[in-house]
Amino acid sequence: METGLRVLLLTLAGLTLGGCASVRGWLDRDTPPAEQAEPTDEELARAEQTEAEEGAPRVIDPEVERRKIKVPKIDTENVELGGFFGALSIEDFGTNPVYGITGAYHITEDFFALGEVGRSKAGRTSFETLGGNIQLLTDDERQLTYYNVGLGYNFLPGEVFLGRGRAMTSALYVTMGVGNTEFAGDDHVTVNLGAGYRVLPTDWLALHVGLQAHLFNSDLLGSDKMTSNLQAHMGVTVFF
Amino acid sequence: MGHSISTIHSIPRCRSISARYALCLFPLLAVPSPCSARELLQVFVTAPYIELHTGPGRGYPVFHVVPREEGMDVLKRRTDWFKVRDERGVEGWAAQRDMLHTVLADGSPFTFSLGDRGGFTAHRGELGVFVGDYGGATLISAYGSYSFNSSLAAELSIGQFLGNASNGIVGDLGLTHVFLPERRLSPFAMLGTGFVNIDPKATLVAPPDRTDQTAYYGGGLRFYLPRRFFLRGEYKSHMVFTSRNDNDEVDEWKLGFAFFF
Repeated sequence: METGLRVLLLTLAGLTLGGCASVRGWLDRDTPPAEQAEPTDEELARAEQTEAEEGAPRVIDPEVERRKIKVPKIDTENVELGGFFGALSIEDFGTNPVYGITGAYHITEDFFALGEVGRSKAGRTSFETLGGNIQLLTDDERQLTYYNVGLGYNFLPGEVFLGRGRAMTSALYVTMGVGNTEFAGDDHVTVNLGAGYRVLPTDWLALHVGLQAHLFNSDLLGSDKMTSNLQAHMGVTVFF
Repeated sequence: MGHSISTIHSIPRCRSISARYALCLFPLLAVPSPCSARELLQVFVTAPYIELHTGPGRGYPVFHVVPREEGMDVLKRRTDWFKVRDERGVEGWAAQRDMLHTVLADGSPFTFSLGDRGGFTAHRGELGVFVGDYGGATLISAYGSYSFNSSLAAELSIGQFLGNASNGIVGDLGLTHVFLPERRLSPFAMLGTGFVNIDPKATLVAPPDRTDQTAYYGGGLRFYLPRRFFLRGEYKSHMVFTSRNDNDEVDEWKLGFAFFF
Protein backbone atom coordinates (compact mmCIF):
# COMPACT_ATOMS: atom_id res chain seq x y z
CA MET A 1 0.00 0.00 0.00
CA GLU A 2 2.73 2.29 0.98
CA THR A 3 4.68 1.44 -2.11
CA GLY A 4 1.65 2.14 -4.35
CA LEU A 5 1.14 5.53 -2.73
CA ARG A 6 4.76 6.38 -3.27
CA VAL A 7 4.54 5.48 -6.95
CA LEU A 8 1.40 7.57 -7.35
CA LEU A 9 2.99 10.64 -5.73
CA LEU A 10 6.10 10.34 -7.82
CA THR A 11 4.00 10.03 -10.98
CA LEU A 12 2.03 13.18 -10.07
CA ALA A 13 5.19 15.08 -9.25
CA GLY A 14 6.74 14.06 -12.57
CA LEU A 15 3.69 15.13 -14.57
CA THR A 16 3.36 18.46 -12.73
CA LEU A 17 6.99 19.43 -13.14
CA GLY A 18 7.00 18.37 -16.79
CA GLY A 19 3.89 20.51 -17.47
CA CYS A 20 5.40 23.53 -15.73
CA ALA A 21 8.50 23.15 -17.80
CA SER A 22 6.41 23.24 -21.00
CA VAL A 23 4.57 26.36 -19.77
CA ARG A 24 7.85 28.33 -19.43
CA GLY A 25 8.07 31.22 -21.89
CA TRP A 26 4.36 31.42 -22.67
CA LEU A 27 4.06 35.01 -21.49
CA ASP A 28 6.58 36.47 -23.96
CA ARG A 29 6.02 34.04 -26.82
CA ASP A 30 4.76 36.83 -29.19
CA THR A 31 7.91 38.95 -28.96
CA PRO A 32 10.73 37.74 -31.21
CA PRO A 33 13.67 36.38 -29.45
CA ALA A 34 16.52 38.88 -29.28
CA GLU A 35 19.38 37.48 -31.31
CA GLN A 36 21.99 39.21 -29.31
CA ALA A 37 24.85 36.89 -29.86
CA GLU A 38 27.55 37.54 -27.42
CA PRO A 39 30.64 39.06 -29.10
CA THR A 40 33.56 36.73 -29.43
CA ASP A 41 37.01 37.66 -28.27
CA GLU A 42 38.20 38.11 -31.87
CA GLU A 43 35.48 40.64 -32.70
CA LEU A 44 36.21 42.55 -29.57
CA ALA A 45 39.85 42.76 -30.44
CA ARG A 46 39.03 44.01 -33.96
CA ALA A 47 36.71 46.68 -32.61
CA GLU A 48 39.39 47.87 -30.28
CA GLN A 49 41.85 48.06 -33.17
CA THR A 50 39.44 50.11 -35.34
CA GLU A 51 38.90 52.56 -32.52
CA ALA A 52 42.61 52.86 -32.04
CA GLU A 53 43.24 53.50 -35.76
CA GLU A 54 40.79 56.35 -35.96
CA GLY A 55 42.72 58.28 -33.40
CA ALA A 56 46.33 57.28 -33.99
CA PRO A 57 48.41 57.40 -37.27
CA ARG A 58 48.62 54.23 -39.34
CA VAL A 59 51.69 52.11 -39.24
CA ILE A 60 51.42 51.14 -42.95
CA ASP A 61 50.10 53.69 -45.43
CA PRO A 62 48.41 51.82 -48.28
CA GLU A 63 48.46 54.80 -50.66
CA VAL A 64 51.43 54.09 -52.93
CA GLU A 65 52.73 57.06 -54.84
CA ARG A 66 53.58 56.27 -58.48
CA ARG A 67 57.18 56.76 -59.36
CA LYS A 68 57.41 59.86 -61.52
CA ILE A 69 59.54 59.27 -64.60
CA LYS A 70 61.28 62.29 -65.99
CA VAL A 71 60.95 61.97 -69.75
CA PRO A 72 64.10 63.33 -71.38
CA LYS A 73 63.57 65.39 -74.49
CA ILE A 74 64.31 63.56 -77.70
CA ASP A 75 66.80 65.23 -79.98
CA THR A 76 65.05 65.94 -83.26
CA GLU A 77 67.27 66.35 -86.29
CA ASN A 78 65.08 67.57 -89.11
CA VAL A 79 67.04 70.64 -90.13
CA GLU A 80 69.88 70.39 -92.60
CA LEU A 81 72.22 73.33 -93.21
CA GLY A 82 75.32 73.64 -95.30
CA GLY A 83 77.08 75.05 -98.30
CA PHE A 84 77.80 74.15 -101.88
CA PHE A 85 80.29 74.96 -104.59
CA GLY A 86 80.10 74.25 -108.28
CA ALA A 87 79.82 75.61 -111.77
CA LEU A 88 76.94 77.62 -113.23
CA SER A 89 76.45 77.97 -116.94
CA ILE A 90 74.82 81.37 -117.45
CA GLU A 91 73.25 81.37 -120.88
CA ASP A 92 75.34 83.45 -123.31
CA PHE A 93 77.82 84.33 -120.55
CA GLY A 94 79.85 81.14 -120.20
CA THR A 95 80.34 78.78 -117.30
CA ASN A 96 81.51 80.25 -114.04
CA PRO A 97 82.06 79.19 -110.43
CA VAL A 98 79.04 79.33 -108.16
CA TYR A 99 78.84 79.03 -104.38
CA GLY A 100 76.14 79.38 -101.81
CA ILE A 101 74.39 78.20 -98.71
CA THR A 102 71.57 75.73 -98.56
CA GLY A 103 69.09 74.63 -95.95
CA ALA A 104 66.33 72.08 -95.70
CA TYR A 105 63.67 71.04 -93.26
CA HIS A 106 62.76 67.37 -93.51
CA ILE A 107 59.02 67.17 -93.10
CA THR A 108 58.51 63.46 -93.71
CA GLU A 109 60.86 60.72 -94.81
CA ASP A 110 59.89 61.56 -98.39
CA PHE A 111 59.52 65.33 -98.54
CA PHE A 112 61.67 68.22 -97.46
CA ALA A 113 61.29 71.96 -97.74
CA LEU A 114 64.37 73.66 -99.08
CA GLY A 115 65.86 77.09 -99.41
CA GLU A 116 69.11 78.21 -100.96
CA VAL A 117 71.03 81.31 -101.90
CA GLY A 118 73.77 81.28 -104.50
CA ARG A 119 76.20 83.67 -106.16
CA SER A 120 78.15 83.62 -109.36
CA LYS A 121 79.76 86.09 -111.73
CA ALA A 122 79.03 86.06 -115.42
CA GLY A 123 81.85 85.97 -117.96
CA ARG A 124 81.97 87.57 -121.38
CA THR A 125 79.60 86.76 -124.20
CA SER A 126 80.96 85.60 -127.56
CA PHE A 127 79.88 88.94 -128.95
CA GLU A 128 82.03 90.80 -126.42
CA THR A 129 84.99 88.52 -127.00
CA LEU A 130 84.85 88.88 -130.77
CA GLY A 131 83.88 92.53 -130.78
CA GLY A 132 86.97 93.80 -129.09
CA ASN A 133 86.35 96.48 -126.52
CA ILE A 134 82.60 96.13 -126.23
CA GLN A 135 81.17 95.79 -122.70
CA LEU A 136 77.55 94.68 -122.48
CA LEU A 137 77.46 94.76 -118.72
CA THR A 138 79.33 96.52 -115.98
CA ASP A 139 81.20 94.53 -113.36
CA ASP A 140 78.37 94.98 -110.84
CA GLU A 141 75.80 93.85 -113.36
CA ARG A 142 77.74 90.67 -114.04
CA GLN A 143 77.17 89.60 -110.46
CA LEU A 144 74.44 86.96 -110.36
CA THR A 145 72.62 86.28 -107.10
CA TYR A 146 69.70 83.91 -106.75
CA TYR A 147 67.49 82.49 -104.11
CA ASN A 148 65.16 79.58 -104.32
CA VAL A 149 62.50 78.12 -102.03
CA GLY A 150 60.69 74.90 -102.74
CA LEU A 151 60.13 71.27 -102.06
CA GLY A 152 62.25 68.18 -102.48
CA TYR A 153 61.31 64.52 -102.76
CA ASN A 154 63.58 61.65 -101.73
CA PHE A 155 63.45 58.50 -103.76
CA LEU A 156 65.58 55.42 -104.38
CA PRO A 157 66.91 55.13 -100.84
CA GLY A 158 69.89 52.87 -100.58
CA GLU A 159 73.27 52.20 -99.11
CA VAL A 160 76.80 52.81 -100.26
CA PHE A 161 79.35 50.24 -99.15
CA LEU A 162 82.95 51.13 -98.45
CA GLY A 163 84.99 47.99 -98.14
CA ARG A 164 83.69 45.13 -95.99
CA GLY A 165 82.70 46.88 -92.84
CA ARG A 166 81.26 50.24 -93.68
CA ALA A 167 77.85 51.14 -95.08
CA MET A 168 76.49 54.64 -95.58
CA THR A 169 72.86 55.45 -96.27
CA SER A 170 72.12 57.36 -99.43
CA ALA A 171 69.20 58.68 -101.46
CA LEU A 172 68.44 60.35 -104.72
CA TYR A 173 66.20 63.39 -104.63
CA VAL A 174 64.48 65.78 -106.97
CA THR A 175 63.67 69.37 -106.15
CA MET A 176 61.43 72.07 -107.48
CA GLY A 177 61.25 75.64 -106.37
CA VAL A 178 60.62 79.25 -107.21
CA GLY A 179 62.76 82.23 -106.53
CA ASN A 180 64.44 85.26 -107.93
CA THR A 181 67.61 85.77 -109.90
CA GLU A 182 69.22 89.16 -109.79
CA PHE A 183 71.36 89.53 -112.86
CA ALA A 184 72.31 92.28 -115.30
CA GLY A 185 70.68 94.92 -113.13
CA ASP A 186 67.28 93.26 -113.16
CA ASP A 187 65.27 90.76 -111.15
CA HIS A 188 63.89 87.66 -112.81
CA VAL A 189 61.28 85.30 -111.45
CA THR A 190 63.03 81.95 -111.61
CA VAL A 191 61.82 78.39 -111.59
CA ASN A 192 64.34 75.88 -110.29
CA LEU A 193 64.37 72.20 -111.15
CA GLY A 194 67.00 69.96 -109.70
CA ALA A 195 68.14 66.48 -108.83
CA GLY A 196 70.77 65.32 -106.41
CA TYR A 197 72.40 62.47 -104.63
CA ARG A 198 72.95 62.49 -100.90
CA VAL A 199 75.31 60.21 -98.96
CA LEU A 200 75.48 60.25 -95.17
CA PRO A 201 78.85 59.11 -93.76
CA THR A 202 77.34 59.65 -90.28
CA ASP A 203 73.81 60.39 -89.12
CA TRP A 204 74.45 64.09 -88.98
CA LEU A 205 76.71 64.71 -91.96
CA ALA A 206 75.62 64.59 -95.60
CA LEU A 207 77.56 64.93 -98.82
CA HIS A 208 75.69 66.08 -101.90
CA VAL A 209 76.23 66.02 -105.63
CA GLY A 210 73.59 67.80 -107.66
CA LEU A 211 72.41 69.29 -110.89
CA GLN A 212 70.04 72.21 -111.15
CA ALA A 213 68.40 74.24 -113.87
CA HIS A 214 67.49 77.88 -113.23
CA LEU A 215 64.86 78.92 -115.74
CA PHE A 216 64.00 82.59 -116.19
CA ASN A 217 62.96 85.00 -118.89
CA SER A 218 65.54 87.48 -120.05
CA ASP A 219 65.46 90.22 -122.69
CA LEU A 220 69.09 91.15 -122.24
CA LEU A 221 70.11 90.37 -125.78
CA GLY A 222 67.21 92.01 -127.56
CA SER A 223 64.40 89.51 -127.62
CA ASP A 224 62.57 88.13 -124.62
CA LYS A 225 63.55 84.51 -124.25
CA MET A 226 63.52 81.78 -121.67
CA THR A 227 67.02 81.08 -120.48
CA SER A 228 68.05 77.79 -118.94
CA ASN A 229 71.06 78.08 -116.68
CA LEU A 230 72.47 74.76 -115.64
CA GLN A 231 74.38 74.29 -112.45
CA ALA A 232 76.45 71.35 -111.22
CA HIS A 233 77.57 71.41 -107.62
CA MET A 234 78.89 69.51 -104.64
CA GLY A 235 77.86 70.30 -101.11
CA VAL A 236 78.22 69.43 -97.47
CA THR A 237 75.38 69.73 -95.00
CA VAL A 238 74.95 69.03 -91.33
CA PHE A 239 71.77 67.75 -89.68
CA PHE A 240 70.76 69.23 -86.35
CA MET B 1 47.61 46.30 -71.31
CA GLY B 2 50.73 48.38 -70.95
CA HIS B 3 50.32 48.59 -67.21
CA SER B 4 49.89 44.87 -66.74
CA ILE B 5 52.95 44.17 -68.82
CA SER B 6 54.95 46.69 -66.89
CA THR B 7 53.95 45.06 -63.62
CA ILE B 8 54.90 41.60 -64.78
CA HIS B 9 58.25 42.67 -66.09
CA SER B 10 59.18 45.26 -63.57
CA ILE B 11 62.00 43.21 -62.11
CA PRO B 12 64.27 42.83 -65.14
CA ARG B 13 63.54 46.44 -66.01
CA CYS B 14 64.64 47.69 -62.63
CA ARG B 15 67.72 45.57 -62.92
CA SER B 16 68.69 47.07 -66.23
CA ILE B 17 67.97 50.59 -65.01
CA SER B 18 69.91 50.11 -61.82
CA ALA B 19 72.76 48.62 -63.81
CA ARG B 20 72.78 51.72 -65.98
CA TYR B 21 72.73 54.01 -62.97
CA ALA B 22 75.50 52.04 -61.34
CA LEU B 23 77.58 52.36 -64.48
CA CYS B 24 76.77 56.04 -64.62
CA LEU B 25 77.54 56.62 -60.96
CA PHE B 26 80.83 54.80 -60.96
CA PRO B 27 82.78 57.50 -62.80
CA LEU B 28 80.95 60.09 -60.70
CA LEU B 29 82.57 58.67 -57.61
CA ALA B 30 85.97 58.85 -59.19
CA VAL B 31 85.69 62.22 -60.91
CA PRO B 32 83.46 65.00 -59.59
CA SER B 33 82.06 65.84 -63.03
CA PRO B 34 78.55 65.11 -64.29
CA CYS B 35 77.81 62.16 -66.54
CA SER B 36 79.20 63.00 -69.93
CA ALA B 37 76.40 61.26 -71.84
CA ARG B 38 73.12 63.04 -72.32
CA GLU B 39 70.24 61.46 -70.48
CA LEU B 40 68.37 59.27 -72.92
CA LEU B 41 64.78 58.19 -72.89
CA GLN B 42 64.34 54.48 -72.33
CA VAL B 43 61.35 52.63 -73.72
CA PHE B 44 60.30 48.98 -73.61
CA VAL B 45 58.86 46.96 -76.44
CA THR B 46 55.31 45.66 -75.99
CA ALA B 47 54.81 44.43 -79.56
CA PRO B 48 56.10 40.94 -80.41
CA TYR B 49 59.13 42.66 -81.94
CA ILE B 50 60.27 45.93 -83.48
CA GLU B 51 62.22 46.09 -86.69
CA LEU B 52 65.30 48.27 -86.98
CA HIS B 53 66.18 49.76 -90.36
CA THR B 54 69.60 50.96 -91.47
CA GLY B 55 68.25 54.43 -92.27
CA PRO B 56 65.32 56.70 -91.47
CA GLY B 57 63.00 55.52 -94.24
CA ARG B 58 60.88 52.56 -95.20
CA GLY B 59 63.16 51.85 -98.18
CA TYR B 60 66.21 51.17 -96.03
CA PRO B 61 66.59 47.47 -95.22
CA VAL B 62 65.71 45.84 -91.91
CA PHE B 63 68.84 44.45 -90.27
CA HIS B 64 67.82 43.75 -86.68
CA VAL B 65 64.80 43.15 -84.47
CA VAL B 66 64.26 44.05 -80.85
CA PRO B 67 62.08 41.45 -79.08
CA ARG B 68 59.20 42.08 -76.71
CA GLU B 69 60.07 43.30 -73.20
CA GLU B 70 63.51 44.48 -74.21
CA GLY B 71 64.52 48.06 -73.48
CA MET B 72 65.79 50.59 -75.99
CA ASP B 73 67.39 54.00 -75.61
CA VAL B 74 65.92 56.64 -77.91
CA LEU B 75 68.89 58.50 -79.38
CA LYS B 76 67.22 60.92 -81.79
CA ARG B 77 64.29 61.47 -84.07
CA ARG B 78 64.22 62.40 -87.73
CA THR B 79 60.83 62.96 -89.33
CA ASP B 80 58.77 59.86 -88.49
CA TRP B 81 61.72 57.71 -87.48
CA PHE B 82 63.47 57.17 -84.16
CA LYS B 83 67.07 56.14 -83.85
CA VAL B 84 67.29 53.64 -80.99
CA ARG B 85 69.92 51.51 -79.29
CA ASP B 86 68.93 48.17 -77.82
CA GLU B 87 70.38 46.50 -74.74
CA ARG B 88 73.06 44.80 -76.83
CA GLY B 89 74.22 48.14 -78.19
CA VAL B 90 72.81 47.69 -81.69
CA GLU B 91 71.70 51.01 -83.17
CA GLY B 92 69.07 51.38 -85.88
CA TRP B 93 66.02 53.30 -86.98
CA ALA B 94 62.52 52.33 -85.84
CA ALA B 95 59.37 53.61 -87.50
CA GLN B 96 56.98 55.89 -85.66
CA ARG B 97 54.11 53.37 -86.00
CA ASP B 98 56.27 50.73 -84.28
CA MET B 99 57.26 53.10 -81.51
CA LEU B 100 53.58 53.39 -80.61
CA HIS B 101 53.97 49.82 -79.28
CA THR B 102 56.44 50.79 -76.59
CA VAL B 103 56.02 51.93 -73.00
CA LEU B 104 58.07 54.00 -70.60
CA ALA B 105 59.68 52.49 -67.52
CA ASP B 106 56.58 53.24 -65.43
CA GLY B 107 54.36 51.36 -67.86
CA SER B 108 52.74 54.43 -69.35
CA PRO B 109 52.61 54.50 -73.15
CA PHE B 110 55.30 56.38 -75.01
CA THR B 111 53.56 59.34 -76.61
CA PHE B 112 54.91 61.80 -79.14
CA SER B 113 53.56 64.19 -81.72
CA LEU B 114 52.25 62.45 -84.79
CA GLY B 115 52.08 64.21 -88.11
CA ASP B 116 48.41 63.50 -88.58
CA ARG B 117 45.04 65.18 -88.69
CA GLY B 118 45.12 65.78 -84.93
CA GLY B 119 48.39 67.62 -85.40
CA PHE B 120 46.80 69.73 -88.11
CA THR B 121 44.13 70.86 -85.65
CA ALA B 122 46.56 71.71 -82.87
CA HIS B 123 50.23 72.40 -83.53
CA ARG B 124 52.91 74.90 -82.57
CA GLY B 125 54.56 75.94 -85.80
CA GLU B 126 53.86 76.33 -89.49
CA LEU B 127 56.06 77.13 -92.46
CA GLY B 128 54.93 77.66 -96.02
CA VAL B 129 55.71 79.03 -99.44
CA PHE B 130 53.39 80.99 -101.72
CA VAL B 131 53.22 82.18 -105.27
CA GLY B 132 50.75 84.90 -106.14
CA ASP B 133 49.97 88.40 -107.21
CA TYR B 134 50.77 91.65 -105.41
CA GLY B 135 49.07 94.61 -107.03
CA GLY B 136 49.65 93.16 -110.49
CA ALA B 137 53.22 92.00 -109.87
CA THR B 138 54.31 88.39 -109.43
CA LEU B 139 54.77 87.59 -105.78
CA ILE B 140 56.97 84.93 -104.17
CA SER B 141 56.61 84.73 -100.44
CA ALA B 142 57.21 82.55 -97.43
CA TYR B 143 55.66 82.60 -93.99
CA GLY B 144 56.10 81.15 -90.56
CA SER B 145 53.65 81.11 -87.71
CA TYR B 146 53.54 80.29 -84.05
CA SER B 147 50.23 79.06 -82.66
CA PHE B 148 49.12 80.07 -79.18
CA ASN B 149 46.24 77.60 -79.39
CA SER B 150 44.41 75.77 -82.15
CA SER B 151 42.72 78.98 -83.30
CA LEU B 152 45.07 81.90 -82.72
CA ALA B 153 48.52 82.29 -84.22
CA ALA B 154 51.12 85.02 -84.72
CA GLU B 155 52.36 85.10 -88.26
CA LEU B 156 55.37 86.57 -90.00
CA SER B 157 55.62 86.63 -93.77
CA ILE B 158 58.14 88.03 -96.18
CA GLY B 159 57.87 88.23 -99.93
CA GLN B 160 59.32 89.68 -103.05
CA PHE B 161 57.22 91.03 -105.88
CA LEU B 162 58.53 91.42 -109.38
CA GLY B 163 56.51 93.65 -111.69
CA ASN B 164 56.86 95.48 -114.96
CA ALA B 165 57.12 98.90 -113.34
CA SER B 166 58.73 98.08 -110.05
CA ASN B 167 60.08 95.36 -107.84
CA GLY B 168 59.98 95.28 -104.12
CA ILE B 169 59.91 93.50 -100.82
CA VAL B 170 56.91 93.17 -98.58
CA GLY B 171 56.91 92.04 -94.98
CA ASP B 172 53.96 91.46 -92.65
CA LEU B 173 53.49 90.67 -88.99
CA GLY B 174 50.06 89.93 -87.64
CA LEU B 175 47.54 87.64 -86.04
CA THR B 176 45.58 84.87 -87.69
CA HIS B 177 42.41 83.38 -86.34
CA VAL B 178 41.38 79.98 -87.65
CA PHE B 179 37.71 79.13 -87.58
CA LEU B 180 36.78 75.46 -87.20
CA PRO B 181 40.40 74.28 -86.85
CA GLU B 182 39.26 70.67 -86.54
CA ARG B 183 37.81 70.66 -90.05
CA ARG B 184 39.78 69.48 -93.05
CA LEU B 185 38.90 72.73 -94.80
CA SER B 186 39.02 75.62 -92.40
CA PRO B 187 38.72 79.34 -93.04
CA PHE B 188 40.82 81.95 -91.29
CA ALA B 189 40.96 85.72 -90.88
CA MET B 190 44.06 87.89 -90.63
CA LEU B 191 44.92 91.32 -89.27
CA GLY B 192 48.29 92.97 -88.98
CA THR B 193 50.86 95.51 -89.97
CA GLY B 194 53.99 95.54 -92.09
CA PHE B 195 56.12 97.39 -94.57
CA VAL B 196 56.66 97.57 -98.29
CA ASN B 197 59.87 98.57 -100.01
CA ILE B 198 59.31 99.61 -103.60
CA ASP B 199 62.21 99.72 -106.02
CA PRO B 200 60.99 101.30 -109.28
CA LYS B 201 62.60 99.97 -112.43
CA ALA B 202 65.05 102.22 -114.20
CA THR B 203 63.30 104.95 -116.18
CA LEU B 204 64.38 108.32 -117.55
CA VAL B 205 63.44 109.97 -114.30
CA ALA B 206 64.18 107.35 -111.69
CA PRO B 207 62.26 107.98 -108.48
CA PRO B 208 64.14 106.90 -105.37
CA ASP B 209 63.37 103.72 -103.42
CA ARG B 210 60.77 104.19 -100.82
CA THR B 211 59.69 102.25 -97.79
CA ASP B 212 56.22 102.68 -96.39
CA GLN B 213 54.37 101.23 -93.47
CA THR B 214 51.33 99.15 -94.21
CA ALA B 215 48.36 97.65 -92.45
CA TYR B 216 46.36 94.72 -93.71
CA TYR B 217 43.32 92.60 -93.19
CA GLY B 218 42.48 89.44 -95.02
CA GLY B 219 41.24 85.93 -95.02
CA GLY B 220 41.72 82.58 -96.60
CA LEU B 221 41.26 78.88 -96.54
CA ARG B 222 43.52 76.05 -95.53
CA PHE B 223 43.02 72.47 -96.64
CA TYR B 224 44.62 69.46 -94.99
CA LEU B 225 46.65 67.13 -97.20
CA PRO B 226 48.11 63.83 -95.94
CA ARG B 227 50.83 63.78 -93.29
CA ARG B 228 52.03 67.21 -92.23
CA PHE B 229 51.04 69.15 -95.32
CA PHE B 230 48.25 71.51 -96.16
CA LEU B 231 47.34 73.88 -98.93
CA ARG B 232 46.72 77.50 -98.13
CA GLY B 233 45.17 80.21 -100.22
CA GLU B 234 44.64 83.73 -98.99
CA TYR B 235 43.75 87.29 -99.80
CA LYS B 236 45.16 90.37 -98.09
CA SER B 237 44.07 93.95 -98.55
CA HIS B 238 47.01 96.24 -97.78
CA MET B 239 46.70 99.89 -96.91
CA VAL B 240 50.02 101.56 -97.72
CA PHE B 241 50.58 104.72 -95.70
CA THR B 242 52.45 106.85 -98.22
CA SER B 243 53.96 110.27 -97.70
CA ARG B 244 51.53 111.64 -100.28
CA ASN B 245 48.03 112.87 -99.53
CA ASP B 246 46.41 109.62 -100.56
CA ASN B 247 47.11 106.22 -99.17
CA ASP B 248 47.49 103.33 -101.58
CA GLU B 249 45.46 100.20 -101.47
CA VAL B 250 47.09 97.04 -102.76
CA ASP B 251 45.43 93.66 -103.17
CA GLU B 252 47.45 90.51 -102.60
CA TRP B 253 46.32 87.05 -103.69
CA LYS B 254 48.44 84.01 -103.15
CA LEU B 255 48.33 80.23 -103.08
CA GLY B 256 50.85 77.85 -101.65
CA PHE B 257 51.62 74.83 -99.59
CA ALA B 258 52.66 74.69 -95.98
CA PHE B 259 53.48 72.18 -93.30
CA PHE B 260 53.08 72.10 -89.54
CA PHE B 261 55.43 70.82 -86.85
